[in-house]
Amino acid sequence: MVVTHSPVSTSKRMQVDEIAAAVGSRFGSTARVSRGSSGVALSIALLDPATLPAISKFLFWESACSFGGIVVEEVQNDWRLSYFFLSLGSGWMEVLLEVPSSTPTVPSISTEVHAADWFEREAEDLFGLEFEGHPRLGDFVLHDQIWPEGVAPHRKLQRKTMDTRRDRLRHRPNAEWRPLLVVRDPGAFAMPIGPVYEGGLGQSVHFLLETVGEDVVRAVPRLFYNFRAIEKIAEGQPVSRALLIAERFAATSSFAHSLSFCLAIERMSGTEVPARGKNLRVLLSELERLRHHAGAIAGVCESTALSVAASQAAIIEERLLRASCQFTGHRYLFGLNTPGGLRRDFTAEACAELLKVMDQAVGELHVVEQGLHFTSSFLDRLENVGIVDPERARDLNFVGPVGRASGQTEDLRRDCPYTGYETYQFQVPHEIEGDGYARLRVLFQEAYESAKLVHQAANRLEPGEVSVPCDPPARGVALGWAEAPIGAALHWLRLDDGGLVERYRVITASFNNWLGFRVAVENFAFQDFPIILASFGLSPTECDR
Amino acid sequence: MSFWFWRGLRKGMHTTRYPKASETAAGVTPGRPVTTQFASVQQAALAAQVCPVGAITAQDGSAHVDLDFCIHCQRCRFGNSPPMDWQSDYEWTTLPHGLRRYEPLPRAYRRSMHIIVVDAGDCGACLHEVKQLNNPFYNMHRLGMFFTATPRTADVLLVVGPVTENMRVPLLKTYEAMPNPKKVLAVGACAVSGGIFGQSFVSAGGVSSVLPVDLEIPGDPAPPLAILHGLLVVTGRKAPVGYQSSLERSA
Amino acid sequence: MNAWIGGTLVLFFAVCGCGLILSAILRGRYPMRVLVGFGAICSVLMMIAAGIALIDGRTFTATLWHLDGLGSLSIQIDHLSAIFLFTAGLIYLPASAFVKNLVESRYQGKYPLCRYGVMYFALMASVVLILTAGDAPLFLISWECMSILCYLLVNYERRGDGRAAYIMLTMSEAGFLAVVVAFAIAARMAPDWSFVSLSAAAAHLSNGAIWAVFALGFFGFGVKAGLVPVNFWLPRCYTATPPVFIPVLAGVTLNLGFYGILRLNADIAVPRGIGPGLLALFVGSVTALVGILYATTENDLKTMLAHSSIENAGIIVAGIGASLVFRASGYSLAAAIALTAALYHIINHSVYKTLLFQGAGEIEVATGTRDMDSLGGLAKLLPALSVVFLVGCLSIAAIPPFNGFVSEWLTLQSLLRSASLMSPAVKILFAICGAALALTAALAVTCFVKVYAMSFLGIRRGEWKLRSSKGIKRPHFALVYLASACFLLGILPTYVIPVLNRAVEPLAGASATASLVPPFFTATSRNQQLPTSFLHDFHNLGAQAGSSVLPGRGMVVLVRGGQQNPVIFAMSTFYGFLALAAFLLITWIVAARATRKRKVARNELWAGGIPRLLPEMSYTATGFSNPVRVVFQAIFRPDIVEDTRKTVAVHFRTAILRRREEEHPVDRLFFHPIGNATGWFATLLARMHHGRLNAYVAYSLIFLLVILALFRVI
Repeated sequence: MVVTHSPVSTSKRMQVDEIAAAVGSRFGSTARVSRGSSGVALSIALLDPATLPAISKFLFWESACSFGGIVVEEVQNDWRLSYFFLSLGSGWMEVLLEVPSSTPTVPSISTEVHAADWFEREAEDLFGLEFEGHPRLGDFVLHDQIWPEGVAPHRKLQRKTMDTRRDRLRHRPNAEWRPLLVVRDPGAFAMPIGPVYEGGLGQSVHFLLETVGEDVVRAVPRLFYNFRAIEKIAEGQPVSRALLIAERFAATSSFAHSLSFCLAIERMSGTEVPARGKNLRVLLSELERLRHHAGAIAGVCESTALSVAASQAAIIEERLLRASCQFTGHRYLFGLNTPGGLRRDFTAEACAELLKVMDQAVGELHVVEQGLHFTSSFLDRLENVGIVDPERARDLNFVGPVGRASGQTEDLRRDCPYTGYETYQFQVPHEIEGDGYARLRVLFQEAYESAKLVHQAANRLEPGEVSVPCDPPARGVALGWAEAPIGAALHWLRLDDGGLVERYRVITASFNNWLGFRVAVENFAFQDFPIILASFGLSPTECDR
Repeated sequence: MSFWFWRGLRKGMHTTRYPKASETAAGVTPGRPVTTQFASVQQAALAAQVCPVGAITAQDGSAHVDLDFCIHCQRCRFGNSPPMDWQSDYEWTTLPHGLRRYEPLPRAYRRSMHIIVVDAGDCGACLHEVKQLNNPFYNMHRLGMFFTATPRTADVLLVVGPVTENMRVPLLKTYEAMPNPKKVLAVGACAVSGGIFGQSFVSAGGVSSVLPVDLEIPGDPAPPLAILHGLLVVTGRKAPVGYQSSLERSA
Repeated sequence: MNAWIGGTLVLFFAVCGCGLILSAILRGRYPMRVLVGFGAICSVLMMIAAGIALIDGRTFTATLWHLDGLGSLSIQIDHLSAIFLFTAGLIYLPASAFVKNLVESRYQGKYPLCRYGVMYFALMASVVLILTAGDAPLFLISWECMSILCYLLVNYERRGDGRAAYIMLTMSEAGFLAVVVAFAIAARMAPDWSFVSLSAAAAHLSNGAIWAVFALGFFGFGVKAGLVPVNFWLPRCYTATPPVFIPVLAGVTLNLGFYGILRLNADIAVPRGIGPGLLALFVGSVTALVGILYATTENDLKTMLAHSSIENAGIIVAGIGASLVFRASGYSLAAAIALTAALYHIINHSVYKTLLFQGAGEIEVATGTRDMDSLGGLAKLLPALSVVFLVGCLSIAAIPPFNGFVSEWLTLQSLLRSASLMSPAVKILFAICGAALALTAALAVTCFVKVYAMSFLGIRRGEWKLRSSKGIKRPHFALVYLASACFLLGILPTYVIPVLNRAVEPLAGASATASLVPPFFTATSRNQQLPTSFLHDFHNLGAQAGSSVLPGRGMVVLVRGGQQNPVIFAMSTFYGFLALAAFLLITWIVAARATRKRKVARNELWAGGIPRLLPEMSYTATGFSNPVRVVFQAIFRPDIVEDTRKTVAVHFRTAILRRREEEHPVDRLFFHPIGNATGWFATLLARMHHGRLNAYVAYSLIFLLVILALFRVI
């Protein structure tokens, strides 16, 4: 497959300063540009909501920024919406918009920036905001069979406890609800999969594959079966408890999420983590990535029924899980990150032992890769299957390994470094084919890069403290980010006067990528579906939060 | 594809000897805090205070742990000046609170038991550990246990996660679709007690508030061997923790 | 015996005439009673006459009248006629009885049956006359009557524009003309037009003339039988036919095409070379494959069954073709086996196709739709119908122990006999045709799995409501009768083959009975037909068991290879059925005993935990057959005429509209080129009409000269 150009290169990538100047000259009368704080490089406050689509379009398409997400806040009588954009290499920008709560209507930007589609739907469901021009609001996070319209559970007036359920009994949930099916063809039908499928070993998600047989014409993933409302239940909690939630809502990348959370707190309080702590954080992040990718590779092998390879990859994964447990005390690296650094230190012997196991695992991973490379029956199932071309990937703002397999080179470790990544030497592998095999190759390459990073980090470990005391400040707001194994993990936090969480917002790569997953499934045959699903390696629970 | 075959053979055996012998490899379990005798009452109170979920209760100079609530945050192990005692085992399966008698599945299920898993709001860790039972290290097929794709043929329901609102109906439907006799196992702290998510407007705070639970496997996440122990308890090849003693007590 | 046959025939015509007259004069509910009663009597009389003729060794002949100069009209019932007559009677009986059911439930007794009865009895008489005609004039006159009556009956309800029936009439007339010319050529050397003398005179015909007779006859009768490429009328016409009439159309008049082919090309003017036979074999195989491909992808029950009729016609004609090839090559035994297979399949097809069409009629009556995409879940609503329909589906899909299996097995076996043929080219053609027929058989299974599963299983997909409650308690007599016929013809082939053999023997020149159905039970240790060692083996396998109880024929059908390939293939649906029944019974007893203490808990359908399975979430017929459509894309050449994605911005789709249109390969390859060429030629001719008088005068002059020149030459 020949891709003539990468869409990122079509428009010139603009730095924050250039963007500030361009916004000032173009939208000068309606937008106020200022330097941001707490992790945000540039803040653009909009005076007129109507310019939002235009400015979003400008940032996303003309300045080649990538879209981060939307944060909705309730402040007294207003709604405050922050739209995050990332200028690769020069930092985050937020577009601020305030809407009076009496008229909760916001212009939709998802016709311009498709990646914002689900963010708007989510805000509509959880806050009751109306996005003008969005054609498909309603049934999303709150399933319409169960939840009546107009609950808006994330609003401040709604309590976290069971009260909302009593409200629900007062309203009647819609038992007659039917999914919206759009394929009109005599003989068209929708094949339902899930939420309990593969004997429940797949995470809870429901798919409706609309088809006339053989090929999938349209695919609709229905998520949020695992919706635990972590943003809501974290409100009013102390930071130490919110950290536990951040760590435990998506275990496959728990270290990255807790790191992102801690970075936000540290940024807010201006804490500098000691060098040993930073290097250990890099080491553990990359260990997690390596372990995750080994598991994802096992999943891809299993989806093609290549059981020996799947078993070999599973052995590697289990070895890494055991090594993690031996090293840190927990198989999934829970309980390590704390604002200010790490909760515990590790001995040099333990590090050496870890490196030994890891090197063996990487060696075995090489062997598996070589074997897969020469297994034509395996490659036949992956090659030219589930293609997302770079244009579509850019359009839908794919992030993480899935995006990198479709020519999106964004990687927060390099493009917006944190916890000392700027001092490390590493490659960001990417492919442009965007098919299942490209995604698998990216997984292997990244796993090798992670192993190299672990070595680099281990070599840099000087004796010293792993953490400094870091008390969360009273009142503050900050954005933390980290490149989780699946992609960017954004944790946005506002603390109230008592140092408790006032509003907590998590934006995950899975949420971002599930939106575009359908593109890969459509126009491919049914029997390719599990393979495409496995090659994406998305986590519903990380998306659902 | 012969090279995969040979490669598989060359790799040799990795499977654990459990349940015939206990597994001693490092890292198979994160272990758990156990009742600790501290030097002073203050230290015990401090240990109880550091626990974010209230799983530790101080009584005089000792701190007791209710494993059902423990989420393995390890705050009582690292960072707290007098650490709790830590025991590296994995046979954690217990009866739910208030249940005294335990009836395993009939003998016919000992070597052929089919399991369906429902992810009811799990973070992915417990589900992942359940999945690990299929890998060569644990290989539960050798014990006659199999995952099945449909509840119609399932004997055991493994539930992970605190049961979210959106998963409540699918979970109930799965349970109803299973033939009798059936057993329900709550796997992981979330399924046992709600874990960190607790009870809220979207979370039932544990499986027992939705379904009759037969056995609980605590742990966040419960490691594969703990789950395997739970499954062996279901077949009657192992006893739940503390069950023997309660029998003895009644006798 | 002759008197008996004659008497029965006279009685038949008398009853038929009475029925006709009574239908014409009676009003109210009486025409329906006349139709059912007199129709049933007529069909029984048909079967009696045919049965006597089959038991009797000789040919029945009678002269109706003789006029000097105009020749004579005579009746003749040989074994071939008798078999077709018997089949016609077999089908007419349920067809007549079923009318009551349809009229009462579908039309609430308000169906105007008087004119229908008149035409029905007239058609019945003309069919009998065709089958019993002893000479060409009577045959042709009756044929013409049959064609016109069929047209009128197909168009009886006057729904739509009548175009389908009109196309059928046009095609029939074209075929009729070809047949007339064929007879004319065959009669060139004959003293009169009776079949006996035509047959005798055929020996004097030149090879070219025989070819011409074959080609014209094959075309003319092929139209009726629905062979490629002249079958395009059939699906349209069957779809438009009223359910009352369709059993007759599918079970009786279709067979007349085969009768014509056999009578003219296997009895009167037997081809001398293998060419005609190969042509028939090839056309038959192509017809079968095209038929089943379209049947598999079709979603209208009736149209699907029509396509399936085309498929079965292909299998039959392939058998006839193989028989002609073997006969021309001198392998009489192989010819006899192939012809037996073809005749057997004719009977089988009539039986199960009538059953399926009547079942489809019931479905249409009950639900008001024939679209398999919207049907579903009928097994719970119409349990009795679902059982008999399943029997029909199993039979047509050639699943033992039902009848379709026997004849398809024999057809494929006889194609395997091509090993004994000499020419490699012919062998290759046989192999290709055999492969096509095997593929057809496999697709037939797919097709009828789809039909049954999509109509009876699953959940209801459409918006229809069950209209009539009939069929819930017990199925109609006609359906049970046909289903039992399917079953009996399936498990008792050893009793049917000897009867068919009586007709086959004169046509193929050899008897296949001894070879196909060896007298196992009556065999002593010495039997000329079978080698001693073979008998020895089978004796030990228990072939002699029950020889004192069973009436003699044995239950095993054998096909033995030739000299080069002496493999023996044996098949016994009877023992297979016994074993299956015993197995099922034992399983049931064991299961019932093992679970007698258990309570059966019924629960909702498991659908992955979603609140409820919506109708739009279950497989549709289109979806089921779409893989076939994709695999055979080269033949279907689907043309997606509409693929609109209605979107709000590029990202949100509100509708994806798709519509597919396909051009039948026969239309694409034959008729559109012909149509285009005709149009082009007509345009060319139109240039002559430029309005100048002197040019027209010149045309006349040229035409006159041409005519004169032609006469000169002749």
